[in-house]
Amino acid sequence: MADITLDSVTKRFGETTAVDDVSLTVGDGEILGVVGPSGCGKTTTLRTIAGFETPTEGRVLFDDEDVTRVPPEWRNVGLVFQSYALFENMTVRENVQFGPKMRGVSKPERRRRASELLDLLDIAELADRDPTTLSGGQQQRVGLARALAIEPTILLLDEPMTGLDAQLKTRLRRELVDLLDDLDVTALYVTHDQAEAMVVCDRMAVMNGGRVEQVGAPEDVYERPANEFVADFVGTSNRLPATARNGRLHFGHATTPAPDGDEGDVTVVARPEAFRVGEGPFDATVRERAYLGEHVRAVADLPDGESVTLRVDPATAPAPGERVSLALDTERVHVLSDS
Amino acid sequence: MSTDEAAGGTGGTDGRRADALAAVSAAFHAGAARLPDPLGRVLQPHTERDRERRRVIALCAPFCLLATVAGVYPLSEMLRISVSEAKYVSEGFSLSAYERLLADPHLRASAVNTLWFSLATTIVSLGVATATAHALEKYDLPFRGALLTLLSFPISLPGIVAAFMIIVLLGNTGLVTNLVAWFTGRSSVDLAVATSVGGLFVAYCYSMIPRAFLLLRGSYAEVNERTEEAARSLGASPARTFYHVTLPQIKPGVIGAFILTFRTALAIFGTVLILQTLRVWTYEIDYALSSGSGFDIQLAAAMATVWFAFVLGFTALGLRYTSAEVGL
Repeated sequence: MADITLDSVTKRFGETTAVDDVSLTVGDGEILGVVGPSGCGKTTTLRTIAGFETPTEGRVLFDDEDVTRVPPEWRNVGLVFQSYALFENMTVRENVQFGPKMRGVSKPERRRRASELLDLLDIAELADRDPTTLSGGQQQRVGLARALAIEPTILLLDEPMTGLDAQLKTRLRRELVDLLDDLDVTALYVTHDQAEAMVVCDRMAVMNGGRVEQVGAPEDVYERPANEFVADFVGTSNRLPATARNGRLHFGHATTPAPDGDEGDVTVVARPEAFRVGEGPFDATVRERAYLGEHVRAVADLPDGESVTLRVDPATAPAPGERVSLALDTERVHVLSDS
Repeated sequence: MSTDEAAGGTGGTDGRRADALAAVSAAFHAGAARLPDPLGRVLQPHTERDRERRRVIALCAPFCLLATVAGVYPLSEMLRISVSEAKYVSEGFSLSAYERLLADPHLRASAVNTLWFSLATTIVSLGVATATAHALEKYDLPFRGALLTLLSFPISLPGIVAAFMIIVLLGNTGLVTNLVAWFTGRSSVDLAVATSVGGLFVAYCYSMIPRAFLLLRGSYAEVNERTEEAARSLGASPARTFYHVTLPQIKPGVIGAFILTFRTALAIFGTVLILQTLRVWTYEIDYALSSGSGFDIQLAAAMATVWFAFVLGFTALGLRYTSAEVGL
């Protein structure tokens, strides 16, 4: 285990700045999720930690040791790729043994280590198979076993679940959480799937345009987004303009108590579950209704033209065109000052 | 003639033409119906599969025709000449030309020269081409386009021009020779290597490297860079990554390039003709056909047949160990 520190890291490719002055620390044994839209710099950040990109500015430190210019093969970093990147000219077992072999581990020891990992990941029966004959989930397990075989101090996972079907993704995600907990390894988990990051990671960093917008525990990021981008990117959010005055939020057509904080023009960020259909100050007309199994997602128009997304029980969900009264749980809203 | 008459006349001509076409079409269909089923279905397809087969035949027909006229016939005639008893007409049967091939120490030496020299130049060319392709495909080099042009254009140069360039560079008055002479203070005559085996070696490589390079570039485009990164992260140095991960992925290209360059080396003639350093098989074929040797066409045909059989066997063997998509 080791902690990772990115100290004002900037990476430019010609005129393009992929990573812009990123400072980040991943604690010993912590799993940090890096989420953000495509092209936000999350993979470049991961590749910089792995040693495949040298920062244009800034430093990368493992346990206070500057590794900015250390080549990837000397970093003891395990990498798991979205595309699996298995060696097709080797069997599954040879793939897993490759790392220890490159590090001069004796043949019996690397065989033992490979068997242990294949057992741990429940793919022992695939040991002699050609990786190209395996399913996506099996290949990803092999990729993980291969990365763990070098007993890495840091594990980097680059969108490891992308491309897997939903059911398999859920199962693998659960297994991965257990495995990473057991191994107590420092890990950076890059994904564009915020739900995945929330399940797997201790903390998450939201990136946008090469910069880190917010770092925090998943519930912090979800409940208290630092800005509108985070609010929009992580989960579904309703953003309503309001004025905070004398302990109340004035929406023009409705008022609610205001949480402690700024006065003046504000943006109220409310998750769909913060609204409740029933007695409340907001009058709205339901425009859309989508049945999603466990719940119904409805979109309702407010008198001022704004619309809100609601999460309601399928049994009591209003129909499109129905006029409803909405209550807002102000304990669950986050107020961003516009100034 | 009135307009109506003209129209009627035209209508009559059109009607006769249509009748004639219908008759030809009917005859064609009747003929096609009498043909055995697979052939009949090619001429008169019933299904999309039949139409696809017809398209394949139409596309391959020019090549098949060319292969027959310019390949199969000359090769069979060459084989016939090689076992002919008479000099100017193909008649009788004699293996004397082949016996002479085996018995003549000069020709045996030429065969050995051809093999070792072709093999050595192929290996060196392949090594240089692999390194160059690796550098160009893996790293962002400045002036990449210019470098590619520079590396690729010798492929279109005839061997004679390559030999001439070697003389211009490495001959008595050559640029490189005189530069080295200037630096070392030695005589340029002593340093000139254009007409030595070394000069010929460079000339061969000059012609062969671009061929291998172009084929290997295609293979490099197929390499999964993530596997190379995985290997590096697992502790492999760049050299070991190349050996364990990259090389297996470009193996079909390497084998393909080996077959192509080795065949090129076996076939080089113009360069040898100019530099005249080493007696090789192509040169001997030319010599056997020259007036100096009395136009020994049986021997030349036997040598060409051996050459052809060797190249064919070597290519077939090489392709067994590589994938079909090498596309030689």
